Amino acid sequence: MAEEVKASWSKGEEIVRMLLEKAPYAEGTVRRERRLEFKVPADRIVDFLRTAKANGFELLLQITAVDWLKEGEIELVYQLFSISHGTHAMVKTRLPRDEARISTVMDIYPVAETYERDAHEFFKVTFEGNPKLEMPWILEDEDREVGVSHRKDFDMLGYVKRKYKLLDRFDEDKENYVI
Amino acid sequence: MVTQEELIREARENGMELLPLEKDTYELFFGPQHMATENYSLILKMDGHRVVKAIANPGFLHRGFEKLAEYRPWHTNIALLLRICVPEPDVPEAIYSMAVDELMGWEVPERAQWIRTTVLEMARVSAYLFWMMGLSFKLGVYTAGQWAAAYRERFMALFEELTGARVYHIYTIPGGVRRDIPGDKWLRQLRDTVEYIKDKLKDFDNLVFENYITYRRLEGIGVMDKKFALNEGVTGPNLRATGVPYDVRRADPYLLYPELDFEVPVLKEGDALARALVRRFEFEQDLYILEQLLDMGPPSGPYKVDHPSLKALPRFRVPAGDAFAHVEATKGDFGAYVVSDGGNKPYRVQIRGPSIAHGIRVIEQLLVGARLADVPVILMSLDNCPPDIDR
Repeated sequence: MAEEVKASWSKGEEIVRMLLEKAPYAEGTVRRERRLEFKVPADRIVDFLRTAKANGFELLLQITAVDWLKEGEIELVYQLFSISHGTHAMVKTRLPRDEARISTVMDIYPVAETYERDAHEFFKVTFEGNPKLEMPWILEDEDREVGVSHRKDFDMLGYVKRKYKLLDRFDEDKENYVI
Repeated sequence: MVTQEELIREARENGMELLPLEKDTYELFFGPQHMATENYSLILKMDGHRVVKAIANPGFLHRGFEKLAEYRPWHTNIALLLRICVPEPDVPEAIYSMAVDELMGWEVPERAQWIRTTVLEMARVSAYLFWMMGLSFKLGVYTAGQWAAAYRERFMALFEELTGARVYHIYTIPGGVRRDIPGDKWLRQLRDTVEYIKDKLKDFDNLVFENYITYRRLEGIGVMDKKFALNEGVTGPNLRATGVPYDVRRADPYLLYPELDFEVPVLKEGDALARALVRRFEFEQDLYILEQLLDMGPPSGPYKVDHPSLKALPRFRVPAGDAFAHVEATKGDFGAYVVSDGGNKPYRVQIRGPSIAHGIRVIEQLLVGARLADVPVILMSLDNCPPDIDR
């Protein structure tokens, strides 16, 4: 059984080795069959994605932002898929929470423009070089002004109380409501 | 006889700002109340009846599901996240459950895998029927649209018997499915329905897919090539219509798909007609897959993982880590990225709907130069689903 698993992973290991040769600044591991994971410093993300695209990762499926409150960092996960290798790869990079700036990858994957607008709206990550960041996206103007975000320290209950004027129905001392 | 200039002057005097920007150009707000756009809006700058510029304007359906999911226990999120995709709600259920399965390290029992595959294929068939209804209505072939809606109803009834609900099933859960197949009678009904719809496919061909009007309306509009499609993150039938044979069921197989025999239809033209025909061929393949699954029959065994944590759901905890799972939906590559910090609620859930790629940049570029009458047809040929974008 263990040997079978190893055989199916060897293709992933080959891809990781090939990419790391060209991008020695990154770390790469095989998570399982057809799932790779790379960790890249934030200032080299453009170089790394350019290398990845030249080596068969044609599709950028999503840019996910995860807010790690305790570490004070925002993690960006670039979900890549390679049709030629049949492999999914997560490219992870971390940014400081209070100064979340990173270069755009629009010139490599043009679709990144949309994903970056999404991450900018909900996680306040600034992508330098993306011309549409300040355009209206999903939120309404009043919510943009309030700073509605998906960050972990966003006061959801307070926002709901203010927005829907339900103060009388809520107990101010309570912090949690069981749904 | 009042001339146009007089009308414009009168309007200006009364404080009405008219939209025409120059002589023949004007702005048109297309949607969100337009039938073709489905809760989504396009701002079109028109010159006569040609589109000069299009700006996608999403956000009318934003309900903050991804944020809400962080406040709810793992299992209750299924009842929330499936609302992201209205025509095939089984897809978000399945990807979320598959990601949680991976985090838990669970191998789903064979019977549950069979049921999940069948449910996903049934969802695909009913979503394609829903799409056929939309396309026929936009082309003006109302009869075929009514048929498609009526045939979809047969699958709704089967879903109701299996899961207890017609549209939002809340059926696939981490570790398996919520309840077992009601019995052999249900399997016989499913086979009858599949055969019935297979029989009716030639009616759709006669009326829609081999119709001269369809060809005239769809051929050569909204053309995209292979390189453009890959750069813009286009997936699903829209990508296969440009000549790339990418199907998640083949490229990154899940559930029982490695054991099933089916073809991935690919066309090269990349226009609206190619996209429509790819969907029509896939519809046939899905019926064929359902037949194979029924021939195989559900394997015996449990329909969900036997694990003590599934007996006390409020205390259900998932080990820390992250996982990505994706399946092939009728609209494209549907994926979920789930992060856990070891608690009884997810730390972060992101759903990647295919329309976030199709509905913003692709539509903005495909619409340039299109006629106003072609806008709904191009939207329908991309099978744009706005809830994916807004979430």
